[in-house]
Amino acid sequence: MPGQAAWLASALLEEDDGRVKDLEVRLAALDPDASAAVRVIAYFDKLTESGAGLEAIVRGAAVLTGYPARLADEERRLSVRVEPDGAHRRLASAPDPSWLRADVGLAGGATLWLESAGPAGPVDAMVLERAAAAARVVLARTPGRVPASGRGDKAAAEVLIDGGSDPGDRRHAARVLGVSRALALRAVALATPGGIEPAILAEPAAGAYPAPGAYQASGDNRRSGIGTAADLDGLPTSWAAARTALRFTAAGTSDDPGPRSVRYDELGGLVLLAGSGGPGTPVIPDEAALDRAAAAAPWILVTLYAVATSVSLRAAAAGLRVHHSTLQERVEQAERLLGWPVRDPQGRHRLYLALVLRRLRRNP
Amino acid sequence: MTTTSAPGPGPGSSAVAAVPPPFDPELAAALTVMAEYVPPAYTADLIPALRQGYLAAAPPDEALSRNGAFEVSERLVPGPDGAPDVSLTSCLPAGATAPTAAIYHIHGGGMIMGNNRLGTPELLEWAQELGAAVISVEYRLAPETPHPGPVEDCYAGLAWVAGHAEELGIDQDRIVVAGGSAGGGLAAAVALLARDRGGPALHAQMLMCPMLDDRNDTPSARQMAGLGIWDRTSNETGWTALLGAARGGPGVSPYAAPARATDLSGLPPAFIDVGSAETFRDEAVTYASRIWQAGGIAELHVWPGGFHGFAGLVPQAAVSRDAIAAQRSWLRRILAA
Repeated sequence: MPGQAAWLASALLEEDDGRVKDLEVRLAALDPDASAAVRVIAYFDKLTESGAGLEAIVRGAAVLTGYPARLADEERRLSVRVEPDGAHRRLASAPDPSWLRADVGLAGGATLWLESAGPAGPVDAMVLERAAAAARVVLARTPGRVPASGRGDKAAAEVLIDGGSDPGDRRHAARVLGVSRALALRAVALATPGGIEPAILAEPAAGAYPAPGAYQASGDNRRSGIGTAADLDGLPTSWAAARTALRFTAAGTSDDPGPRSVRYDELGGLVLLAGSGGPGTPVIPDEAALDRAAAAAPWILVTLYAVATSVSLRAAAAGLRVHHSTLQERVEQAERLLGWPVRDPQGRHRLYLALVLRRLRRNP
Repeated sequence: MTTTSAPGPGPGSSAVAAVPPPFDPELAAALTVMAEYVPPAYTADLIPALRQGYLAAAPPDEALSRNGAFEVSERLVPGPDGAPDVSLTSCLPAGATAPTAAIYHIHGGGMIMGNNRLGTPELLEWAQELGAAVISVEYRLAPETPHPGPVEDCYAGLAWVAGHAEELGIDQDRIVVAGGSAGGGLAAAVALLARDRGGPALHAQMLMCPMLDDRNDTPSARQMAGLGIWDRTSNETGWTALLGAARGGPGVSPYAAPARATDLSGLPPAFIDVGSAETFRDEAVTYASRIWQAGGIAELHVWPGGFHGFAGLVPQAAVSRDAIAAQRSWLRRILAA
């Protein structure tokens, strides 16, 4: 019978004030004796019992009251906003202090908001209270897991990556960054014009809800090295790995082709090179050949990087958006400049190592 | 055409009822609130009360017109031989300058209840985006009108629409038959009839959680007994109203229960969706599989934790929003083709 109750909803939704009415109210309208409060309680109890996540809870609040609803949690860097039609739509604006709200009742100040200045009707008040209680259950079992990237985070991250930090300071810094409940953390090294800046990433936890901020070092596209997984006390080690990983990154430009973000975990044996190659070490002939070739034409380095990292010449051509035959000619020219073939596995590997050594020399 | 029995729904149909799949959390919460009004099990003695309940409501013409986007009218067209005329509610795009696609809608209600305006507003929302007409048929209901009355009413209405396409301003090559629940079963049956009688060449068939199999004996029917919406008891009530003592026995016509058809080749492209936690899950999946096996085109969506009619009953839930988006997307693709 799809559509029947949907039509029922659409007919009853358009009440005098244009507000979308809640399911309970709609049903209560059919049965004046029904208690909306009992239904609200049943709705959120069932959500909790079924293991629903935060978005479902916030959606329940929006659908049942007819106002957009938000859950905001500063400590956990959490912001969920759902509209009465069920759509999850984020807005940059902060909650208006005059809106109806309920404290979720956990340290950190998680708050459930209805985007309405009120006054709260009986259903609104009941929904706020029950939804906040349901959110409390979810938050209490879910670790924080959001990347730290805001202002003021740098100092806290510095504390966490410093092996000499006081354990109390370390705990406090973790709370500031909203990662005190995370199961696993990683230090991240970010390249800045003035040097290298630390950040802390929380690993996504199994069964956790979607949170803002994907698993990325930063949204600002700074070059980043991502360290090994660690607990709170292991972050100094993770930081060392992150700095190593950062040395393998590149600007991603024609004179410095390569990845802007590198994970230490994926470097494998290349990490050994980081200990032996760098700005002060003697230039090996292959690096010098690479620099000579790079000076000959602006397309040389990106072409060689594509050849070294693509599964085939055809794939490299596609990635470079040049015709296959054009790439053939360019590769032949590059080989003459380099002095070794790059289309066989050994030559390709030699090329890749030369490119990596060149990056290590550029990134102290 | 054939009336012999098609293969059953496959291994396991006689197995003891297993643990049912859980409802989606949001749908489960909504269900606790609705359960009192929409109980899982409808029995025949409840039919009069059900018809008097909220299912009797019908959106008025003004609601269907969507602020003048559609011209809404009622018309009586010839019914099946020897039967009364059939009423059609037609919603034609206002100001269309070329023939439009049309959705021929058959409402749900378990064969025993509902009216032809139920479910129409949702279709009109899509139709407006796509510049299509919606024409919804008022077929007679069981048990007062047993098979073949309801499906023949639906077919007679369709035949009239196709034959009067020019007058209606619709493109007779782009008629999509669509329905949910019993309407989905009737839509599938109308597609079989159109094929077998050399009737209107349907562009596509849209079967939303369709009611296809009177045998009512699939693993999902057994699993979901007493749970969700439209359980095995309700289903037996509906099919028995339509077929009487013949329900579940040999010789039930595929035009009553399309799952009985032995040949599903030569049918228009099908959209089929269903919830994983409903009576109709297995018959819907089987129908789609058999269309593919017959070399046909079908798009099948099985939504996890969905009870019968979840997308219409709880349209705001995340899984419902995705299900509705899939319906809309298919319709757009099929009408753009």
